[in-house]
Amino acid sequence: MATVESLVAQIQGLSSSAGDLSLLLTHLKQADEFLHNESTRLLPFLEQLDPTLHSLGYLYILEACTSWPVTNEQARRLVLILSRFLTSCVADQIRLAPEKFIAVCKSFKDQVLMLEAPIRGVVPLLEAVKKLRSSEHLTTLHPDFLQLCLLAKCYKTGLSILEDDIFEVDQPRDFYLYCYYGGMICIGQKRFQKALELLHNVVTAPMSSINAIAVEAFKKYVLVSLIYNGQQFSTSLPKYTSSAAQRNLKTICQPYIELANTYSIGKISELESYIQTNREKFDSDNNLGLVKQVVSSMYKRNIQRLTQTYLTLSLQDIANTVQLSSPKEAEMHVLQMIQDGEIYATINQRDGMVRFLEDPEQYKTCEMIEHIDSSIQRIMTLSKKLTAMDELISCDPLYLAKVGRERQRFDFDDFDPVPQKFNI
Amino acid sequence: MDFSPLTDALASKSYGKIADICDELMLKGAAEMEGVPFEEEWPFAIHLLAHIYVNDTNSARFLWKSIPAAVKERQPEVVAAWGIGQRLWTRDYAAVHEAIRAFDWSQQIQPLVAAFSEVYTKRMFQLLLSAYSTISIQDTALFLGMNEDDATSYVLQQGWVVDPDSRMLIVKKQPVKTEQKLDSSKLQRLTEYVFHLEH
Repeated sequence: MATVESLVAQIQGLSSSAGDLSLLLTHLKQADEFLHNESTRLLPFLEQLDPTLHSLGYLYILEACTSWPVTNEQARRLVLILSRFLTSCVADQIRLAPEKFIAVCKSFKDQVLMLEAPIRGVVPLLEAVKKLRSSEHLTTLHPDFLQLCLLAKCYKTGLSILEDDIFEVDQPRDFYLYCYYGGMICIGQKRFQKALELLHNVVTAPMSSINAIAVEAFKKYVLVSLIYNGQQFSTSLPKYTSSAAQRNLKTICQPYIELANTYSIGKISELESYIQTNREKFDSDNNLGLVKQVVSSMYKRNIQRLTQTYLTLSLQDIANTVQLSSPKEAEMHVLQMIQDGEIYATINQRDGMVRFLEDPEQYKTCEMIEHIDSSIQRIMTLSKKLTAMDELISCDPLYLAKVGRERQRFDFDDFDPVPQKFNI
Repeated sequence: MDFSPLTDALASKSYGKIADICDELMLKGAAEMEGVPFEEEWPFAIHLLAHIYVNDTNSARFLWKSIPAAVKERQPEVVAAWGIGQRLWTRDYAAVHEAIRAFDWSQQIQPLVAAFSEVYTKRMFQLLLSAYSTISIQDTALFLGMNEDDATSYVLQQGWVVDPDSRMLIVKKQPVKTEQKLDSSKLQRLTEYVFHLEH
């Protein structure tokens, strides 16, 4: 019969070499049920262990301690122990028991939320993500970390993790949430291009039935598209979108589709009156702020359109065509757009005129070459990845079995075999 | 909490680094706090100004939103610091200068505010330079946060001219120098790409 004392002694003795650790892991697995039964009196034993030296054993005991619902009072104590463990534990050890580590992190997240202090979880969870992930792999902790960043309003910290490329995903839900929260963080930091990319990933991801994350992502996707691309936004989804999304999204998000249609007419007054009548819907979706940005983007879009037609135009004429109240207001709009690099123009206050210019970029500076070069490098890596993935799938027995079955149903001559390279 | 990285950065006037230092210290402090909430002693005014200094109004705004109401009530300097951020957020260019001048900043913060004021004036000058061909003296003074005489002499030093008929300033663009010389290795790389694509 094992006792907690003997287990602690084992943890202390078997935490140094890789061989010892795998032995310890077997012991811990056997003792897991016992630990869960003893969970109420385990906490004091943690003091005999060091979170860095004995990460694996510490993790098992901690997991048993947090496997039951805790009270507010207990959470206050546990959060501190957990956050210290997550920052100081050793990656090699905790990776031996990833499911325990994830359970501990999830309960840590729940506890900081219970204490209404999401900011306390940001750094520990970031550390946890870094320790658990292998490169290009999306862990189930990624979305939790981003959620805490949003709640604690630490958007900038959240960005740090969104810059890594992701190619491997375990659970579809993790991926939807990661992209959705990530999209929200990018919106907050006004990185609309990246936000669009992330939200696009949710909307077009494979799904067998429609889910709430995709619906909310689609609403934001429509709004961000309008802000970033303007009238070029098309309401039709790409071909590879799942049929569940194709069938349902537009009907569920009707007000947003209509908003996009109203936008495409290009009249501020119509857009504003449409928003006014549907204000409650946007407000209850928590999207009113984005909707307001859609309106101001229309002024910009209309001014941008003028640059395609005119070389010079008076501020008064700009104000008239774009429905602004005064030439001064038009001047301020043009000034902001110049500041943001959205148009190239110079304002002549003496004559009250604006002169539109060409984009001064001549694509011959060192910086630009550097930029082009790194883009080419990235695309080449991506293309290699795709080829590798393609080869992997064409060798996959499951895929071949399915394709083989379907092929028999059709006549060989009137059907182009689906995979081009079919080498068995 | 150990504030030494922050005090070091303030002492060495590395204002550009303070925002990142503050972010890191605050999040670490929050994770490790025992008993006393970290908000009690956190220098929110410096943190806000640090974001503003590096032109990161978004982060300043989110920080402002996360500051407890009690702190906002107790520390007028925090409110004043966000006052600057708010003007930047709404692009009320001239009001930024007013917000800077409207508060009697504490000794610790004064140098940071002064440094921002200087950076902001330069930013505004660059904006005027890129956006205007002629501009009134009055507007120039508002944008630069100076009186009309100071503003005129500031821009005349940069080669602008006063148009005698309209009493307006004629903006003189400075030729932008960019590095255009290409070293041969980069050219070689691009050639290889093209070669690779063609064969």
